[in-house]
Amino acid sequence: MNHLKEIKLFLGPQHPGMHGNASVHLYVEGDIVNKSRLVPGMLHRGFEKSMENRTWMNNIGLIPRVCVVEPDINEMCFAQGTETLNEIEVPEKAHYIRMLILELARISIHLMSLGGIGGPTGLYTAMYWAQADRDMVLDIFEAITGHRIYHMYIVPGGVRKDLPEGIDKLIRKTLDDIESRMPEYDDLIFKNPTIQARLVDTILLPAEVVWDLGVTGIGMRSATGEAYDVRKVTPYARYDKVEFDVPTATYSDAFTRMRLKYLEVFQSIRIIRQCLDGMPEGKPNVRISRGSALKWQVKAGSTYSAVESSRGEFGYYIVSDGGTKPYRVNVRGASFPQGLLGVEKYMPGVRVDDAPLWFDTMGICSPEIDR
Amino acid sequence: MMNSTNSKPGLSEIVSELDGRFALEGVSYVQYHEVAIDMVEPDLHQGLTYLKNAGFRQLSALTCVDWLEEGVFQLIFNVFDWKKGIRVILRVKIPRENPRFTTITSIYNGAKYYEREVHEFFGVVFDGNPDALKQLFLENWDDLPPMRKDFDSRAYSDRKYVKREYKTSFGEPGGEPFERN
Repeated sequence: MNHLKEIKLFLGPQHPGMHGNASVHLYVEGDIVNKSRLVPGMLHRGFEKSMENRTWMNNIGLIPRVCVVEPDINEMCFAQGTETLNEIEVPEKAHYIRMLILELARISIHLMSLGGIGGPTGLYTAMYWAQADRDMVLDIFEAITGHRIYHMYIVPGGVRKDLPEGIDKLIRKTLDDIESRMPEYDDLIFKNPTIQARLVDTILLPAEVVWDLGVTGIGMRSATGEAYDVRKVTPYARYDKVEFDVPTATYSDAFTRMRLKYLEVFQSIRIIRQCLDGMPEGKPNVRISRGSALKWQVKAGSTYSAVESSRGEFGYYIVSDGGTKPYRVNVRGASFPQGLLGVEKYMPGVRVDDAPLWFDTMGICSPEIDR
Repeated sequence: MMNSTNSKPGLSEIVSELDGRFALEGVSYVQYHEVAIDMVEPDLHQGLTYLKNAGFRQLSALTCVDWLEEGVFQLIFNVFDWKKGIRVILRVKIPRENPRFTTITSIYNGAKYYEREVHEFFGVVFDGNPDALKQLFLENWDDLPPMRKDFDSRAYSDRKYVKREYKTSFGEPGGEPFERN
């Protein structure tokens, strides 16, 4: 091997896969990666600075854009944080609607990433199927919020408007459909020899590396075997009132991590059904501040509000000086640790054709690294 | 309002342990699982080491807030204990003039890129972080660090980019709907 010349390859930024606009510089000898680093910044739109220049209310339109495929977690972090600072309690119904939306979003992104494994492995059928099923979830979003991608629905004080009449019929039917199709994904993806050849026993993530980097979410749960999920550890909304399991594993390879995503879809379906069954009566929102929404004031102070995204702990550190605009908002993207330090320290050693798989199964979303 | 009595088990014990060891400048219970503690600069590394040994194995975030009127940068170290589900946010203020801080990468490895980010957006130099001065997100940036409060993004864009005139007319009601050239 030592007579081969090291060459530099660029993975991205226009990769057709899932990871958006980030570039990985790979130094390759033969087909083994010797050195790698992520070059972020191609999607940097200055969100944190823009938030400081907008009123609390205006920010509702901006924050979902931080993460494209799973925007609701941003809305939830922002809403929770402002509510903590203003010391207001949102109505019971709002909590349940929020959980419903967040879990629908989790299903939609897990479907997308289950299908997305078709990109680097060449199994495009998975991608088409999953996108079609994800579209059914987007239909629900459209019916509830009026938008398919950026919903701007979870707002400080509750949710923007009540659920439309008879929506639970559509939701239940869609959930039944998705649930009945899940075994087909099992056949198509997990029992498929070509997928197994690529995913089983590759891209290992030992528990020590999890702690070293600060990986959260499925990466952490698949390696440590503990149910380290923000929904269980520090429950927000009413996650302590619904029953669900957190799938875990003690051996983390690419296959295990994909498998946990698959299993989490069932748990999300379970949570949504409980939300629909136990949906309380009442108002869906309260005012967080007196007067016009454009003059909302939030009490001075700071808080960190975190939620469990599909990739791990996602949080906003919000500072207010008592004015009509946030003084500072810092976004803790769930994929920041593995996306930057992880690529530098732990990607070397993989084969070059596994590098996109590394990206996919570690759960990296470049918009939340750039912000 | 949150206080030490209605917080999660383990949180007030951590605070009293820290209080016994270091001179704390302020403690505020933000949520039932979260406490924010203001420390002085020389104690911070010891405080973080203590917390890491006490079970706070994860650095959730490291960031900075610019308090322009006070003339200080506030560094925020956000650590989390997954076993107990409690969060401690250590905050320390450093002068805004020539801001320097010693790296915490020897305590939390994952801080490496957070420190680079803080350097890029606020100009805080982390001594001991080998890559602290390298650019990460902003290619060929040649102005004030952009997240500082005295950086005006509108003025920067006016100065940096050629002004373009847009002629936009939304038309009369009922007439041509939209025209832009």
